[in-house]
Amino acid sequence: MSNWLPRSAAGRRWLGLAPSYFVIGIFMLVPMVIMGVFSFLEPNPYGGVKPIGSLDAYVKLFFEYDLEDNLVFNPGYINIIFRSFQLSLGATLLCLIFGFPVAYFITLQPANRRNFYIYLVTIPFWTNLLIRTFAWIIILGRGGVIETPLLAMGIIEDSLRMMYTDGAIAIGLTYSYLPLMVLPIYASLEKLDFRLLEAASDLYANRFEVMTKVVIPLCKPGIIAGCLLVFIPCLGAFIAPNLLGGGKKLMLGSLVQFQFASARNWPFGAALSMLLLSAVVITLIFYARAAKKRAVLEGSA
Amino acid sequence: MNESIPAITANNVVKHYGGSASPVVALKNISLEIRDNEFFTLLGPSGCGKTTLLRLIAGFEQVTDGKIMLFDDEIANLEPSQRPVNTVFQHYALFPHMTVAQNVAFGLERLKKPRSEIETTVNEVLTLVKMKHLADRSPNQLSGGQQQRVALARALAPSPKVLLLDEPLSALDLKLRQAMREELKQLQRETGITFVFVTHDQEEALSMSDRIAVMSEGEVQQIGRPTDIYEHPVNRFVADFIGDTNFLDGEIMSIDDDLVTCRVGTQSMFEAENSGGHKVGDQVSLFLRPEKITLSPQSETIGTDTRPGKVANIIYLGNQAAYTVDIGGGIELIAQARPREDGNLPFAIGDSLAVGFSARALRVLAQ
Repeated sequence: MSNWLPRSAAGRRWLGLAPSYFVIGIFMLVPMVIMGVFSFLEPNPYGGVKPIGSLDAYVKLFFEYDLEDNLVFNPGYINIIFRSFQLSLGATLLCLIFGFPVAYFITLQPANRRNFYIYLVTIPFWTNLLIRTFAWIIILGRGGVIETPLLAMGIIEDSLRMMYTDGAIAIGLTYSYLPLMVLPIYASLEKLDFRLLEAASDLYANRFEVMTKVVIPLCKPGIIAGCLLVFIPCLGAFIAPNLLGGGKKLMLGSLVQFQFASARNWPFGAALSMLLLSAVVITLIFYARAAKKRAVLEGSA
Repeated sequence: MNESIPAITANNVVKHYGGSASPVVALKNISLEIRDNEFFTLLGPSGCGKTTLLRLIAGFEQVTDGKIMLFDDEIANLEPSQRPVNTVFQHYALFPHMTVAQNVAFGLERLKKPRSEIETTVNEVLTLVKMKHLADRSPNQLSGGQQQRVALARALAPSPKVLLLDEPLSALDLKLRQAMREELKQLQRETGITFVFVTHDQEEALSMSDRIAVMSEGEVQQIGRPTDIYEHPVNRFVADFIGDTNFLDGEIMSIDDDLVTCRVGTQSMFEAENSGGHKVGDQVSLFLRPEKITLSPQSETIGTDTRPGKVANIIYLGNQAAYTVDIGGGIELIAQARPREDGNLPFAIGDSLAVGFSARALRVLAQ
């Protein structure tokens, strides 16, 4: 045996896992640490950062300087964050409402056809999200697919003004992340023992109760996973808010993108990212707590 | 309940699977009555349609044709949730996200019973199946036998008019299975609920049932008490499916009031009980249970229907041994003998012995 190998079992195990640690370090930890550090520096007006420590970026989240250079509370960014949560929650809810029946439908298909339907669900991922979001401008926009026939038939008199609204953003987000809801729900529904549905109906549960008392509780892990997979990228999304919200109705994601690309305030963008990251981590901690409690209850911990 | 009305009446029930173009026939034309308060068993090999019939009664499948009555009510077109019958499933189908008590309460809650009544009933039923101490466990913390008891409790809790049991013991190991047989039978007596029990295990059927319906290929072959089924099978399928049997294929040579005389093979003649409906020249099977044959040393030969034989093979089973005995004419019979008190078997391979059985033990079945 070669001498350079570590002697202890623990050391060997560490060596075996080293490639994974390396990859996780390079692709996850290092960028995150860079962002964290940037958020505490001063902006360079031509992009990038100056190596001077500063808390300005975090102060800017909540305050601004008035004409006399006094710090005053500025709810602008807080409002954007609040709006982002609202819209993301809305989109997540829409994804759940549309995604669950789709996943359930696929589960009910014969086993040999299910993979084909799953394949269909993933097809949108094969095209650039930007292009697919542009398609929604054609659908929702003035003189678009929805308005034109309604106008022609005289059902509406004027443009519905669907574009550049929160509704348009929610639709765009729902469309973008729907497959991320369908797939985990399908994964947990597929494992569902359908004899339990028979047992429930045998025990006097009507169709609605079979759903609410048996199916939904049993695929809760899939539903929660789907909600997280939709909610988290929604928070950071900027394509749908920019294109369908017209860039006026900002979301957290578009704000971050704006700071890096146009406003040249990298520290502020980084601080916003850190805030977003904290929100996500807190959400995940709640999820982990719930999952652990459930595991203990079901004796599979 | 009214004693005179059967708990379940099936009238010309037909069940096809698949399209009408090329249907798979699961049940050909089933008519039977299951009496109130009885332990009724549907017995047959896999694929005979016994589970299909149970699922039709439960409502998980729709009849293709025919009627199913529960006491006075036609139920064939009702949803499972509208039928006052409950099922114990083969693999228990307990809800994994609920505790034992919640599982048992499920049916009562759907029936909108008051909370206090639900609690009382759940306690009662769990006590009945000796699972009260595990009420707060989750089903996947339980052994197979315990899950079985919870499944029973869950199905009994809403006091169904009929309890359906779909091979509930098949997933348990032998000892537990035998213990559960007694318990099930006792439970049925205590609750007075009609049990419809599906099994492919003839021992289960014989040991628990008040009456048995033997099924094969989508048809009922025979309905009767366990002793009827075992001692007086109506056809060769029933005789063969239940217990070990010797079949002697032959031709009826003569018939008198009590006895039928048959020729088996070229020269061997056998007398059998005349069950009626036969005529000279019929090709028939004679049916003889191994335990009706006595084996004795040749010197002790007594009685009329005793033939000389020779031991061809022995299968030792512990409490007894199955002997294959050659009685000449190309005929071999399976017989049983107990080991002697010192534990040795009474005969060895190659021994000559006397093979005795009375004509009353032989029955004539159509081939």
